[in-house]
Amino acid sequence: MHLTNNLNIMKKQLIILVILISSVSVFGQDKFIAKNAYISFYSSTPLEDILGESNEAVTILDATKGEVVFQALMTTFHFKRALMEEHFNENYMESSKFPKAKFKGIIEGFNKDMLKAPVANIKITGQLNVHGVEKTITVPGTIGMEAGRLVATAKFKVTPEEYGIVIPSLVRDKIGKEMEITVKDNYVPFGQ
Amino acid sequence: MKIKYIILSVLFLILIGAGLGLKMFFKPHDDINKMDANFKVEGVRFINEFKKDENAATAKYSEKVIEIKGKLVAKNTLPNGNNLLILEDEMEGISCELDTDWSKANQPLINGLKIGNPVTVKGVCKGFLMEIKVNPAVIETAE
Repeated sequence: MHLTNNLNIMKKQLIILVILISSVSVFGQDKFIAKNAYISFYSSTPLEDILGESNEAVTILDATKGEVVFQALMTTFHFKRALMEEHFNENYMESSKFPKAKFKGIIEGFNKDMLKAPVANIKITGQLNVHGVEKTITVPGTIGMEAGRLVATAKFKVTPEEYGIVIPSLVRDKIGKEMEITVKDNYVPFGQ
Repeated sequence: MKIKYIILSVLFLILIGAGLGLKMFFKPHDDINKMDANFKVEGVRFINEFKKDENAATAKYSEKVIEIKGKLVAKNTLPNGNNLLILEDEMEGISCELDTDWSKANQPLINGLKIGNPVTVKGVCKGFLMEIKVNPAVIETAE
């Protein structure tokens, strides 16, 4: 009696184990990462366009819930002019106090097939944290397969004032009211 | 006579101001190749320092020139054409984006780098995002 009980428990455990293992293979890849994602910051001024670019952002896509986490180090933004870079880090973003910009959001109406389909438009809603200020935003973007790679992009506008970034009135009028942020990542499978 | 003198000196000051302004505006980026290292570190220890206390390590190393000795584990090219060297660990190691101009002049050296061999890199530490980001960087010595 005792022995059969034990055997039954073992059987159950074995079945659970088999289900667990097979579920992993059925769902396949759950996480994707891009460790050198592109992000740019663009603003036009009458004197010269200001473009800061970074290829050092890190983003993880969790395919179980369509969640995107994106982080960038402010100091990795590279500008054409050293002075722009200096102003960006020291005067505006205060990079030593707020080294990272973070975004965490959910792709609206997400399902896993979107990751295998050709590139299509999406909307992502989540929290953007810049300069220590957090705001909920919805940004347009794209996701899907392009030349055999899982690619995601997003393009949206922010105003510095929303994130508590003070621009001296002397130069405020000369810089475009909104800054355009562009993001592009090539995701590769991660973990498991 | 006096007015002429004043006008001339004011014009002179404006010229100096404009000159300084323009010089600042067109100031070039620092050349990493000519900068001395603020710190000399060994790869694994450097990573551990960030993993132990990221904020303290960021405050200590961010925007500083670091000379890092470590094992080369991966070599990539970014979409913008820059070369990327990864030291110690592919996922959570040290990611060094090589200086564009320096890379162009040193392609044979970069191509000759062997995965698994030690390499010494000098670059500006940008902080920690899963891995330590170093940009721009140049190769000091390689085996």
